[in-house]
Order: sequence, then structure tokens, then C-alpha cells
Amino acid sequence: MTTTTVFSARRIVTMNPAQPEATHVAVRDGRILAVGDLAQCAAWGPHTLDERFSDKVLLPGFVEGHCHLKEGSLWDQPYLGWFDRRDPRGRLWPGLRSVDAVVARLSELDAAMAAAGKADDAPLIAWGFDPIYFSEARLTAPDLDRAGNGRRPIVIAHANGHLMTVNSAMLQAAGIDADNEVEGVMKFEAGPRQGQPNGELQEPAAMYLVLRRVGNAGLLAPLDDAGLRAFGAMAKLQGVTTATDLVNKLGEADLAVLERQADDEAFPVRILPAFQAFHGTHGAAAGAEHVQGLVARNRDKLRYGLVKMMLDGSIQGFSARLRWPGYFKGSDGQPGGAHNGIWVTAPSQYEADFEAYHRAGLTIHTHTNGDEASGGAIAAIERVLARHPRPDHRHTLQHGQMIDRPMFRRMAALGLGANLFSNHLWYWGDQHHDITMGPDRAHRLDACRSALDEGVRLAIHSDAPVTPLAPLFTAWCAVNRITPSGRVLGAAERLTVHEALHAITLGPAWTLKLDHEIGSIECGKRADFAVLHDDPRNVPPMALKDVRVWGTVLSGRVFPATGG
Amino acid sequence: MAPRIPFTVIGGFLGAGKTTLLRHWLTLDDGPSGSGSGASGRRIAVLVNDFGELNLDAALIAQAGGGAIALSNGCVCCSIGDDLGNALIQLLDAWPPFDAVVVEASGVSDPWRIAQYALADPRLVLDGVTVLVDAAAVASQALDPLLADTLSRPLAHADLIVLNKVDQADAPTLAAAQAWLARHAPPGVPQLQTVQAQVPRALLGAALYQPKGWGGDKRGGEGRGGGLPGHPAVAHDQRFESWAVQPEGTYDAARLRAWLQALPPSVLRLKALLPLADGRWAEGHWAGRHASLRLGVPPPDDGAALVAIGLAEQLPCRALATGLDACRIHPA
Repeated sequence: MTTTTVFSARRIVTMNPAQPEATHVAVRDGRILAVGDLAQCAAWGPHTLDERFSDKVLLPGFVEGHCHLKEGSLWDQPYLGWFDRRDPRGRLWPGLRSVDAVVARLSELDAAMAAAGKADDAPLIAWGFDPIYFSEARLTAPDLDRAGNGRRPIVIAHANGHLMTVNSAMLQAAGIDADNEVEGVMKFEAGPRQGQPNGELQEPAAMYLVLRRVGNAGLLAPLDDAGLRAFGAMAKLQGVTTATDLVNKLGEADLAVLERQADDEAFPVRILPAFQAFHGTHGAAAGAEHVQGLVARNRDKLRYGLVKMMLDGSIQGFSARLRWPGYFKGSDGQPGGAHNGIWVTAPSQYEADFEAYHRAGLTIHTHTNGDEASGGAIAAIERVLARHPRPDHRHTLQHGQMIDRPMFRRMAALGLGANLFSNHLWYWGDQHHDITMGPDRAHRLDACRSALDEGVRLAIHSDAPVTPLAPLFTAWCAVNRITPSGRVLGAAERLTVHEALHAITLGPAWTLKLDHEIGSIECGKRADFAVLHDDPRNVPPMALKDVRVWGTVLSGRVFPATGG
Repeated sequence: MAPRIPFTVIGGFLGAGKTTLLRHWLTLDDGPSGSGSGASGRRIAVLVNDFGELNLDAALIAQAGGGAIALSNGCVCCSIGDDLGNALIQLLDAWPPFDAVVVEASGVSDPWRIAQYALADPRLVLDGVTVLVDAAAVASQALDPLLADTLSRPLAHADLIVLNKVDQADAPTLAAAQAWLARHAPPGVPQLQTVQAQVPRALLGAALYQPKGWGGDKRGGEGRGGGLPGHPAVAHDQRFESWAVQPEGTYDAARLRAWLQALPPSVLRLKALLPLADGRWAEGHWAGRHASLRLGVPPPDDGAALVAIGLAEQLPCRALATGLDACRIHPA
């Protein structure tokens, strides 16, 4: 016999315009049976009243439409970033604002490894360091040599993924010396060590020198059960009940891990992995067939059917494709304009592959950072749709950081959604203003208001682990558009709190073709809630990111953020 | 220490003929001439982006699966996947080692960045960057502002440019392609015109063509083209010629390095294994407009050797001989 649970709450913010607020929600078989007051819920018959949320505020469970499951497993390695960040256990890692602070934390980690009985030469691998925030000279091997006794190889992966800095012990273990000819092995240009490697390794071939020594561990480790559970813990902490893994090869080992966790009652989040349809394991025809075959294996907490394509690189990495006049300044700080970014996929290849996946009935999410890449995607999709119209395809441009109003109008005409990278406004907003885009174009970075005005379905995202998984923070970025220096980028592009909440619930649910199942609290949908201590609509906009998350409810099952 | 494996990168935009070239090299049988090589004797490992496009004849496939296809002639074709480093680690762990590794750069990537892997792994030696250009399409593709820089970028570090599909380009189209190349190709880079990407596999490096003297009889002498009496022909294509010597004496490492770095572009490939004054041996390579000189493994019979390959009629054999002589310490 089925049972009905009625949850009472201080307030329920439904995101359903027909019934914006309520105090009670009835849940049966994991779905929402009724929303309203106690009497309206009780009218459905016998029930258990659960009052544990009577002083909490319920919202629809947050939907992260662009993140990566690595947000969980990365925490197997220590974090060295500039900004504070919380790990899956809820521990706060304070940001490191100087080379000395980085060295001090490395010394602590080295001592902890020694105390745990790790051999002297077991490598210490850390992540999240981003030199773009440091005004002092670059981090080099001699800096890192001050950590511990200098015998342990140390590898620091930079946040952008294209660089690492290693200590002298690691240089020696990898056989990297003054004679090394790889272009990405950076050397001291002057001083007593002139010509010696300085510890910075740029681009894959130089990093390969280290990776072939430290092996397929650490940062390159494949997705495993522990990593997925850690991601689940992160999701609970942030009120997330549905998340994408927006690039996954979906090989047999990946599928086994995903399906094992999705079938575990204790796993607290729905996952939508997107098949890697660029530089991957399959050509387009075979890839489309592979994903179509997987859809039959969908279950409540695991949905196949998304496809990820990628057109260009990143703006802060100077690899995004920009329209004229290009970068404001180059990576060397000199006036830019000369050099454009790179195509990760050639536009013609993109169009052909897109067509294959589109015709297979799949939904395609395309990474486009620069405006030339976004324009290229729009033009290609326009031609594909003219050849093969398909109602309600839900294809979405991801990041779309420099899309302007004319492009949003074309997107609206084509039915394309936009999932914009609002977190960039905070994390790299000052760099976009001062270096990459310049003080004029930086104001239209992640132009959420323009998207809505022009009739484009909008979601906003973190791209975790690039920035932290935390939808309320992402909403805060879109509402305030403030940078660490206190500058407001494009005040006219700000969203209201309600619009921002929509862009972390129903908005992304639309891009995932799940808006009939999740994204709002209304009869018939999954009983997925974010449980908050306060109503985000009733705090000052600048405090939106500080609204505390108690935990989540997924299909009626309660998941406290801590413990349980 | 095993000899280092020559590493070649094939670049060029979509449709330029990279896959056709790789299929040609994987399945080629050079025939009975030469060092008894051909596909039958040399095991090549090819790393590609997409197997499907390679369209290999089923009769040639000995075994397939796990991201690799083994051919009955000993060659192997592997998928790069999303991590070339990982693919290389697996490939280089194979035993016995392959005789050459060829990597297909994707149509939009810079082959020079891939070439860096050969400098990163001590088991590899860079054997050059070959960039294919579609004679029939490049001029019109270059008009697309989205593509102009993507098309020209790979040329910057090419050591051989292959203008392919010349049969599919009419005279004005071919002239336009050549004019585009003249604007974007670095000066002095040798160019070859082909149909169906029929690039001779001789280009897979001097290392593939080890004269018998490479560990054979110790004797002086030199040869051009067909080689010394009793020596293999080095190149099987009339568009190439070779120069092979087994020099006497001992050499100076610094002078050798300087000489290698200043070789004229008409030398496509050069490999040398020479004794130094202190009894150690130096292994020198010239490829990809890139010279390297490192300590090498002494040949079992102390047979010094040097072989160079160039375009027919363009190989400066006399200058090479003079330059090599100038690096010798004893007899002075």
C-alpha cells in the first residue's frame, strides 16, 4: 500500500506562477501529490505529517545544467585556489592569496603525508592554482622547493588545465633539465639559474613529461564510485537535485559506475551525462547510435540522451574564437587584436556532426565561449534546421559568454536555449574588463537580461569544477554582476532574484527536456526540493549567496547536507 | 637502451588527404627492392582521430578491438581518444617496439604542438611534420574568415608541404592554391605535389632505412641514389635521393650540433651515429627543420654511419661531405 507524507514548511516557493507559495506539500510514490495548506493536502486521504521543515523554506531542487562530476573526485587532491572553497565534507578551504601561503599549505600537506606513512618520494598533487590573480612574479620550482624537505615531488595543476608548476624533485624525477627541448618546458630567462627549467610546464606535451612519471592517477583518474558519491555530497550541500555531467565518453566502465550509483537509494542526485561527441571514441553516426541505444537504459536518477559538442576554447585562456576586433590585450599584456583563439572542432565538421546527432533525435549542448564561435554555431544550426526541421529540439548553447542581442534574436527564432556562465562575472570579471574583452565589451559578458528580453530560454551555470557548484551563488552573480574589485559589469544585464531562481530551476530543466518532471513544485512532478534556512527572495540581493542550505529532498527522500 | 622510435606528425585541414595518406602508408608493400622493407618488414603504429574514416580492407585486419586495429602486416592503428599522452604511453609500452609512430593531427589542431611529444619522450625522436594542403579547395576555404588562420597556422612548422589532389584542381585553381602557399608557407620548406596523397613512405625517416653498414662492415665510402654496392637503395621513388656514408674517425659534439642546426632545407631527413673523441657515441637527427644531437648507443660493431634524404637533384651531397669532414677531430 502506498503511503503519503505531508511536509510542512515555513514557506514553499513553488516557481509555479499559478500558485507561487504554499505551506504544505504532499508526496506519494516520490511524486508531488498536492501543494497548498494542510487541509488541501489532507483532502487526499490518510497521510503522515512530517514537520521537520516547519521552520525551513522549500524551493524546487536546484538544477545544474552545466557541471562535471569531477567536482566530487577532484577533492581526492588538495585545493590551492585563490578563492575560498568547500569540499564534499563541508570543510572550507581558505583561498591562498600569496606564494608564501601556497608554500605554507604545501608544507602542511607534506607533513600530513609523512605522518600517514607515505614514502618520501610519493608525489603531492594539488589543483586549483590560478596565476591570473597573482601580481607578484610567477610561481616557480624554487618557491615550491621551500615546502617540506624538498624531497617529495610536488605537482600543482593550474585552474585552466593547460599548465602545471612542479618542484625540483619532480623535475629531477621526470628527467627535465636544461637540455630539454620541449617548447612548453619554461626556463629561467636571467639570473643565476638562467637556462635551467623554472618548473612551469605549459601545454600537453610538457605536462606529459610529468604525467608519464606520476601515472594515470590523481587529476587524470577515471570516474569511480567514491568520486560520484563525493559529487552527491557536494550536491546535497548546495541544494542540487539534478546535475549534468557535461562531457562523458560513456564507455562501459563509465556506465557501470553511473548505473551502480543511480540505483543506490542513498545516492542523492539525478545525473544527466552528455556524450562526448568531439575528439572522442566514435564518429558521429556511431556516436548517435550509441547514445540512442543507451536511452533504453534510463532510470529515475540517470538519464542518457544529451550530446556535448565543443567549438572553441576559453576567453581567459585566449583560445576562444572572437569576432573583430578580437582580444583587447594579448596573453602578454600587449594590445591584442592580432591573434584569434582556436577551433576545437572545425565549423564544417561541427555542422556535419550536429546534423547526425540532431537527426537521431538527440539534444545537443554546444560549448561556445567567444562570439565568433557562438555565431558559427547559430549559422550551422540554422542550416541544419532548414534541412531537417524538428520541433522542440531544445538544442542549447553553453557558456555563450559574448552573445549579443542580434544573436539572441536569431537563437530565439531557431528555438535555441542559452545556458550562460554567470560565475565568470565574479571569478574573471575584472580580468575580462582589464585584459581580455576591455572595458566596453566586458559589460555584455553573460548577458542574461538580453537573452530573456529577446525571448531565449535561459539557464545559468557554474561549470564545476571550473568554479564551485553552488546555484545560489550562480544566481547571486547574475543578480549583482559584481566583480572582486567592486565593479558592476553591465548593470542593465542584471536579473531579478525571481528570474535568477528560474534560471537555476525551470530554466535548466527546459534545456534538459525535463521541465515536465522537475524544476517547480507542482502536482505530478518529482518531489525534489532544496531545503533552505531562509527565503532567498527576502534577503538583500547581495546576501543571496549566503542563504544557508539545510539539504535536499529527492523523490520524497530526505537528504540532510551534513551527516545522514 | 633501445633505439629511439621516429615520430611523424601529419597535419592539414579536413579533406586534405591525411586519412588517405595514412591508409597508403599502413597498407603499402614497397616490394622486393630496397632493404627488404615495405609494410612487410617495418611495423608502423598510426594514431588517428577516427577509425571509421580509415576504411581499412577487412582482409588486412588481423585483430580489432579495444581502440586498436592490428593489421596482418604487423602495423597497428590506434585511436587517440581524448588524450594523446595516454594513447602514446600504451603504444610505447608495446613489445616488440614499433619501427615508427605516425600521428594524425586533427584538422584544426597545430601539428607542431603534437610534435612536442617526440621531444618529451626519450623513447621517441622527432621525424618531422608533414602538412597536406587540398589543392582543389584551399583557395576557396581561405576566403572564409572563420577559417583563414586555421588553414595557415599548421604551415608554420611544416618541414614538408604536400599539395595534394592536384588532379582535382584545374589550372586556375591550382595556381590559386600555389599563390596561397606562397603567401603562407615559410620560406625554404620543400613542397611536393601529389594525387591521392601518394607520399613515399621513405619519408618516414632515415631511421627506417638503415644501411647495412649501420652495424655492418666498417669501411669508408659514400653512395648516392641507388646506394653503395651491397647497400640498399634508400628511396624507392624517383622524386627522392639519398646519400649514405660510413665515415672514419672521431667527431666533436659541439661542431656536429652546429652543423646539424645549419643544414640546408633541401635535406629532408638525416640520421647519424658517430663516435666522439672520448669514446662515447653521438646520435644526430635532422628532421622537421629541427636538429638534435644526443648520446647514443654504440653500434655492436663500431660501424659509424650517416644517411641523408632529400628531393631528387636537390640533395647537396658535396656540401654534406665537406660539412661532416669539418666536424671530425681525428684524423684532422
